[in-house]
Amino acid sequence: MLKSIFPTLARLRFTVQILMLFVTVYGGALLGSYTVDRISKALPSLACAYDKVTGDHCVLISVQHQLHHRIGEALSKAGDVALNVFLPTMITVGVFFMFFFFLNKAFCGWICPLGTVQELIYKIGRRLGRPLQRFTKAGVGKVRPVKWFMLLLLVLGLPTLAGMGTVANELGDPFCQVCPSRIATTLLTADTEQLAVRTGTNINFFLGALGNALFGFIIIAALAVRQPFCRICPLLSWNALFQKLSPMRLVKKEAHEKCEKCGVCEKACPMDIHEIGTAFGSKAFHEDCTLCGRCAEYCPDDDVIQLKFFVFKLFGSSRDYYKARVKFESPEGQPKKRVIPILSKPAENKG
Amino acid sequence: MTKTLLACLLAACAATASAAEAPAMVQHDHGAMMHSPSRSWTQLPLLKSRMKGQDMASRSIIMQPQNIAADAVEAWSNDLEDANGHRQLPMEMGGAPLDKPATGGFQMLTAREVQGDGVRIASTVHYFGERGGKNPTAMFDQVKHELEIIPQPYPREHSRYRANEDWQFAVRFKGQPLAGQQVVLETSNGSRAEFLTDALGVVKVKVPNDFKAEAAQRENHGMRRGADFVLAVSHAEGGLQYLTAFNSGYGEDAYANRSLAMGMGFMLVGMLGAAPLLRNRKTAARKEESANA
Repeated sequence: MLKSIFPTLARLRFTVQILMLFVTVYGGALLGSYTVDRISKALPSLACAYDKVTGDHCVLISVQHQLHHRIGEALSKAGDVALNVFLPTMITVGVFFMFFFFLNKAFCGWICPLGTVQELIYKIGRRLGRPLQRFTKAGVGKVRPVKWFMLLLLVLGLPTLAGMGTVANELGDPFCQVCPSRIATTLLTADTEQLAVRTGTNINFFLGALGNALFGFIIIAALAVRQPFCRICPLLSWNALFQKLSPMRLVKKEAHEKCEKCGVCEKACPMDIHEIGTAFGSKAFHEDCTLCGRCAEYCPDDDVIQLKFFVFKLFGSSRDYYKARVKFESPEGQPKKRVIPILSKPAENKG
Repeated sequence: MTKTLLACLLAACAATASAAEAPAMVQHDHGAMMHSPSRSWTQLPLLKSRMKGQDMASRSIIMQPQNIAADAVEAWSNDLEDANGHRQLPMEMGGAPLDKPATGGFQMLTAREVQGDGVRIASTVHYFGERGGKNPTAMFDQVKHELEIIPQPYPREHSRYRANEDWQFAVRFKGQPLAGQQVVLETSNGSRAEFLTDALGVVKVKVPNDFKAEAAQRENHGMRRGADFVLAVSHAEGGLQYLTAFNSGYGEDAYANRSLAMGMGFMLVGMLGAAPLLRNRKTAARKEESANA
């Protein structure tokens, strides 16, 4: 019955994404208006606390807050590093891991509201006939370190230094000030407050301007680039730190020599993980992987690529499934139906 | 790789620290940021909180009744089942100390004065800046005095009342809603307004935007300077005249010190930056061919 409702993994994932978009963006209307009503307060996805009706908010704001107000301040006293300083952070990480244990990076590919928004924009771009801009191997190599830099500097470093008094207090939550999800999710609730740039101090103005420009860039780039912000998202790198600890994972079996020459899984991967075509075993589960499952959907061989929870196979590649899938959509996400002709020239008549 | 990243981080932090504005206070005084200076701007009973101590570990709260002679302050916790769910805070020199219970979160505080046939009640809410264990709705629903003004809801954690925002309050007498009751609003900025409760005893109050332009707008830790408001209602029954008041702080309008126009401008800059990505390479190539032809 489940297969008749969700004939493809992509349909199931899309349904989950839309449901979770409503939960993360509007869920507070049902759960309650107070922060204590939020589901976890440590979600491994970019659900935003600035959204007044959010159903939950991401772990990064809790981490920044605790580094700023507890750990940073305690370090500045260089001695009062008691358990009650680290305990809230330990609780935050513990709650985060309780959720992460079961879904691993699927929080990125199935739950994150910003990820869903980018995918929806990309689908629109396909219909409008916009070109697909892919990253080369060299290009991907240059972009990947950015997410670690964002994590170390914006999420961990600056809030700690702000708590210690080494840098200005306005740098207590710098990632939140540049995160596109803050603007995207609040705009979805018809709240324009976060779109308005703070003008009180130079630092707030600079961060706000940067955040707004990044948001504008992302929503246009998403028409042609798959998951543009996910590639530099510090939550991707945060989740990558823990991905080996979860039994939910992507596994690629060593099949045959044609595997490396096929390359369809690489084309299907929205994060341009070229290693999926060449690596095997647990190495195929790359730090950039969001467990969207498209590589498994588009692998033309049986059970070469699998999504597994412990030893249980949740989804495995299949030749029949691949044949049915490509009839409707290419590995790059291009629908086989006609695009909207407004922005693309009609095909020339030949002969 | 890891060492390279750590080195970059240290360099970036050093550069940021040196380029940053004058370092902020290590221990910022939330009390000064959240509340306006004490002044006799109303005759209505108030219950003000003052923070002592400069960091979270040593901070203590003193509840100071104003315009009301109370022997004690009563405190209700957002966790009514807790040992500190309901307690009496004795008055000391300067006020009644309020220590943070383990549950943290929201506390509702009241002070009561009975003189002759008059009963005066001051009430307010204090938030300890930590996540509480429970939603404070049950705390607000708990009947505490005969005549009450109850926020529905109270601003969520790390938020506050702000100018130009609409907030609902329930007025009830002995736990029952009071319909058609006049509610008076006064602010420390000099505004005054009157409202009527509806059939369900609920009143929608628009917080006035009565901040005067100031030469120095101080923005610290995302908090702006604020003012105080008090809502009051009176009711006579059983030969007694009841007056209850609810006071709290409020801040400037959400868009004060913000620019939507600039925000949209920067967003458009970003969008223009991404526009070349949308260009169809074949179209660009054809245009180049026709230009060369």
